[in-house]
Amino acid sequence: MSQQVLHQPVLISTDDAEEPGVLSSLYSYLPAFLAIGGSLILIAVRLNVGGERFMSDGAAMMLALASYLIAAVFYLTNMYAPFRFAEKLGLYAATLGVFFNLSSWLIRWASTYDRELAIFQSQGLGAEDMPWLFRYVPFANLYDLSLAFAFGAGITTLLIMRRTHFQVVAALSLPLAAIILVLARFIGDDIIDLPPVLDSYWRPIHVGIASLSYGTALVCFAVAVLYLLKDGLKVEKMAIWTGLFSLSVFATISKFSIFAPSTFGTYTASTFMGSSRFALGLRADIPYVGWLIVAAAILLLAAMAAHLISIAKNDISARNWGNRILWAALATQAAGISVLVYQLRNLQDVVSNISPKQYPIFGAWMLQQQEMPQAQINALGQQQLYDIANSWIIQNGAGLHLSLNANPVELSALITAFAGTFFIVLFGINTEKIRSLLPGAEVLDGLMYKLAGVTFAGLALLLITGAVWANESWGRYWGWDAKEVGALVAWLTYAGFLHSRIAYGWRGRRSAYFAVVAFLFVIFTYLGVSYLLPGLHSYA
Amino acid sequence: MSTAEHFVTKTGTEKTVSLKPADSFVSKFLRFLCSVRFGVTLLVLLGIACFIGMVVMQQNVAGFDRYFAELTPSQRLVYGKLGLFNIYHAWYFNALIAVLSLNIILASIDRFPKTWKFFSRPTITVPLRWLREQNKTAELQITGNVEETRIQVTEAMKKAGWRKVKTAEKNGTTFVLGQRGLWNRFGAYAVHVGLLTIFFGAFLTAQTGTTGQMPLAPGQSTDLIFETVVDLDKASQLTKQLPFTIEGVDIQQRLIKKEGSLSAMNTIDWMTRFTIKDETGTHDAFVQMNKPFDYRGYRFFQASFVPVGRARSITLNAVPAAGGEAQQIVIPRGGSAELPDGTVVVFSEFRGNFRMGNEDPNEDTSEYPNPAAVLQVSRPGGPREAAYAFGAGLSNIPVASKPIGGYTFQLADFEKVSDQHVLAVQRDPGAAVVYVGFLLLVVTLIAVFFFSHQRVWAAITEGPDSTQVLFGGNANRNSSSFEEKFDKFVVAISRFKAPEGERNANERIEKTTGE
Repeated sequence: MSQQVLHQPVLISTDDAEEPGVLSSLYSYLPAFLAIGGSLILIAVRLNVGGERFMSDGAAMMLALASYLIAAVFYLTNMYAPFRFAEKLGLYAATLGVFFNLSSWLIRWASTYDRELAIFQSQGLGAEDMPWLFRYVPFANLYDLSLAFAFGAGITTLLIMRRTHFQVVAALSLPLAAIILVLARFIGDDIIDLPPVLDSYWRPIHVGIASLSYGTALVCFAVAVLYLLKDGLKVEKMAIWTGLFSLSVFATISKFSIFAPSTFGTYTASTFMGSSRFALGLRADIPYVGWLIVAAAILLLAAMAAHLISIAKNDISARNWGNRILWAALATQAAGISVLVYQLRNLQDVVSNISPKQYPIFGAWMLQQQEMPQAQINALGQQQLYDIANSWIIQNGAGLHLSLNANPVELSALITAFAGTFFIVLFGINTEKIRSLLPGAEVLDGLMYKLAGVTFAGLALLLITGAVWANESWGRYWGWDAKEVGALVAWLTYAGFLHSRIAYGWRGRRSAYFAVVAFLFVIFTYLGVSYLLPGLHSYA
Repeated sequence: MSTAEHFVTKTGTEKTVSLKPADSFVSKFLRFLCSVRFGVTLLVLLGIACFIGMVVMQQNVAGFDRYFAELTPSQRLVYGKLGLFNIYHAWYFNALIAVLSLNIILASIDRFPKTWKFFSRPTITVPLRWLREQNKTAELQITGNVEETRIQVTEAMKKAGWRKVKTAEKNGTTFVLGQRGLWNRFGAYAVHVGLLTIFFGAFLTAQTGTTGQMPLAPGQSTDLIFETVVDLDKASQLTKQLPFTIEGVDIQQRLIKKEGSLSAMNTIDWMTRFTIKDETGTHDAFVQMNKPFDYRGYRFFQASFVPVGRARSITLNAVPAAGGEAQQIVIPRGGSAELPDGTVVVFSEFRGNFRMGNEDPNEDTSEYPNPAAVLQVSRPGGPREAAYAFGAGLSNIPVASKPIGGYTFQLADFEKVSDQHVLAVQRDPGAAVVYVGFLLLVVTLIAVFFFSHQRVWAAITEGPDSTQVLFGGNANRNSSSFEEKFDKFVVAISRFKAPEGERNANERIEKTTGE
C-alpha cells in the first residue's frame, strides 16, 4: 500500500524543512509599504515646508514615468540575461516609480487646495471660508484619473512582485503604466475648477475604485499576454494581431485623413488659440508625418503577410522576413512619432499649414459651438462655411499654435502602437529562452484568474458607487450614460471570463483572450467614452 | 437501483452522468435554459447591445438632434427600425434582461443541490489516486499507530484553521477531512440574489417611479413638475401634479470668483430654500448640490439653473438730490428698505444686461455685462415711482443721474444669483430595493473573492514499519494562500513528536507538490 502511495517523492529531512516565517512574508510587502509610506512622508514635508519651492506634481509624474521605464528595461533585459542584481535594480526602480506616482497625486491634491485658497485670499476670505478638503482630491479630470490609473497598475505590480517568480510581469505592466503617464503628460496638468456636481464625498470613493480596478485590469492584461507567450502562441500570430491594432490606429487618427483617398498621406493635428487649452476644430497639416505613417502601415502589412505565409506553410524563411520587416516598421513608427513631436513643438507658421479643405469643416464646427441647429448649418453652402472660417482665421490666425496637449489620445495611440510592435520584435528574439524563463503556465493562469476576479469585484464596486452617487446627485441610479455602459460592458466581459471557466472549463489560452478583450473594453471606457462619446462623464 | 452515477473528475468537480433514456424536448429546453453556457451567451449578447448603445447616440443625450441630422436617410431608417436610438428601452433589450434573470434563477436552482451536498454530505473518503492529483499533496511516514496519527493530524488541522474536521474509515484507510470557509460555496448564489434584487428594484423604478423638474424662484408657488419626453429629435413635456404645493423662499449661488459669471465652473454650490404645504401643515425644506431633501417618498435635487443674471441682494448708495451724505442700504431680492427720511425703496427687479424697454427672456445674462437694479421708490405719502440703480458700466447714461423721490441711486454691490433654480423631483420606490441589492452584492463579492472553501484530506494507512499519511487538498479560490498554508501545515506535521514525547530520529518527510 505504502509503495503504491509513494509517487516519486522528493525526500527532504525535517531539519531542512523551514516554515515560511511571518517576518519574511511581511518583508515581501516592504516595497509597497516603502512606496506608500514614502509618499505620505513627502506630502507631509510638502505641507510643512511650503509649495512654491517644492517639487511640482508634474515633476514627480515625470520621475515616476522615468522610474517605470527604467524598471521595465531591467526586467526586459533580465528576460534575456537573468541577473539577480538587475532584478533588484528593477524592483528598486519600480518602488521608486510607485512612490513618485503616488507623490505626484498627493502633491496635486495640495496644489489644488493652494490654488483655490489663493483665489479666496484675493477676495479677502481666509482658509476658514474654504470648502471641505475632499473637494480638492485630484479626481477632477482625465489627467488626475490617469495618474491614479498608473498608480493602480504600479501598486498591483509591486504587490504581485513580492513573489519573485512574478517579477517578470513588471516587464510588461510597467511600460503600459508608463504609457498611461505619457497620456497624462499629453493631456496636460492644468488644474481645473471643479464642477459643483462633482463636489461629493462619493467622488474619491468612486474614482478611487475606478483607478485601482483599471490598474488591476492592466496587470491582468499583462499576465494574459505573458501567458499566451508561455503557452506557445506563435509570436507571428501576436504580430498579426498587434499589426491589425496599429493599422486601426493609423486609419482612425487625424480624423481618418491618412488613408482617405482625397487626403491620402496627410496627417493633421488640432490647434490651440492663445493661452486656451481648448482644442479647436481646425487642424493643421504636419509635413512628412502622414507619409511616414503610410510607410509604417505598408511595412506592417508586408510583415503580416509574411507571418501569415509562415503560419500557413510553416515557412521559416517567411517568418524571418516577417521579423526583419517588423524591425523596419518599428523604425518607421519611431521616426513618425519623433517627427510629429518635433514639429508639434517647433512648427511656427500654423496658418500656412492649414489646408483650404479644412476651412468649411472649421466653419461648420464654429457654428456648432454657437449651438446653431445642424439643419441650418447643413443648409449653408461650402463657400459660406469657408468664408466664415476664413474671416476668423484672418482675424485670429496669428494666435494659432500647435501643442502636444491638443491631441493627447492620438499621440498616445501612436505610442501604444509603437510599443505593441516593439514588444513583438522583442518576443521574436530568442523566444524559447523567454518562454523557459517565464513562470509555469498554470501559475500564470492562476494569477490571471485572481486578477480578473479582483477586477470583476472592483468594477462591480465601481458601478455600485457610481449608481449611489448618481442617485444622490441626479436622482437616478442608472441613466445609461456612455461611461456607465462602458464600465458595465467591461464588467460583463469579466463576468463572462469567470463564468466561462465554470461553464466551458475555459482556462489558459481562452481565458487569456477574454482578459485581453476585457481590458480593451476598460481602455475604451477610460478613453474612448471621454473623447469620442458625449455624456455626463465627458470631463473624465 | 440508482438512475445516475457520480464520478469524481480529475479537477475535483463531481459529475453526474444520467443513465436515463433520451430526455424529452421540454427537459432539454429547460436544461438549456438553466445552463451556464446559455447565461454566458446572454451576457455576450447583453454586452453587444450595450456596446451598440454606446456607439449609436441615444435620443435622450444632449446633441442628439445634431447627430440625427448628420445621418443619412437610410441610417435613420435602419437604426430607427431596429430601435437603436433608444436601445436600452427596446423590447428585445428588456426581454434579454428578463431571460437573463430567468437563467440566473434556474441555473441557481439547478446547481444548488450539488452545492448543498458540500454541507450535508461532505466527501470524507476519496480515492487515493484522486487525492494524489490535487493541487497540493504530501506524503509522510510517521512513527506511531494510526489512531495516534489521526489525533495528531486532527489537532494540526484545527490549529491550521481547518476547524471542521470529520473522520471516516474505508478499506483499512482512515480518512480525516479538515475544511474551512464552507459557506463560500454559497457566495455565488448570494451574488446572483443581489443581482436579481437589483433587477427587481429597476423594474419597480420603471413601473412605479415618477420624475420631473421644477423651476423655482423666491415667491413662486407650484404643485407641478415637468418631464421632458424625447422621441428622436423631437422633445415634448409631460406635466405631473404633486400631492403638495411648493413655494420658493430663497435661492443662493456660492461662486468661486465673485467677479466671475454664474457658470457651473465658477460655482461652489447652489442652495434652494422652499416650503412644502399640504394637509399636515407647512414644512421648511433646503436643498443643495449633492444634498437632496426627502418628503413623503419624493426626493428633491438641485438639478440646474436658468442662466439669467439676477441679484440675491443689492447694496445701494442713495445720494440725496439736494446734497448731503449718501446712505448705503442693503435690500434682499423682492424686499424693501426705508431711508432715514421715510422714503421706501423696493427692490423689484434685477437685470444682468440692462437695456431700456422689455427684457429678452431668452437672453443669457449670466456674465452680467451691464447690471442694473429696477426699484420702486415712494416718499412718505407719495406715489411709487420707478428708479434705476446702475453699476459702474452704465453710471454715465442720462437716466442714471435723474433723481427719483429725491434721490439718485448707485448700485454699489450685489450678490449674484440666477433667475430660477431648477429642482429635480423624483419618486422612486425601487431605489431602496436596488440599494439592498447593492449591499448584498458588495458583501458577497468580498466574501466570494477574498475567502475560499479549503479542504484538506489525510489518508492514514498502517505501514510495515511506520504509519503512512497521504495529504491532499484544494481550495475553490485563492489557491496561492491555500498552498502557503498547506506547506506550513505539512512542516508542522513533520515536526510532530512521538506520543511518548520523544522525537524519533529516523523521522523523514517525503513530500510531493503539485507545482
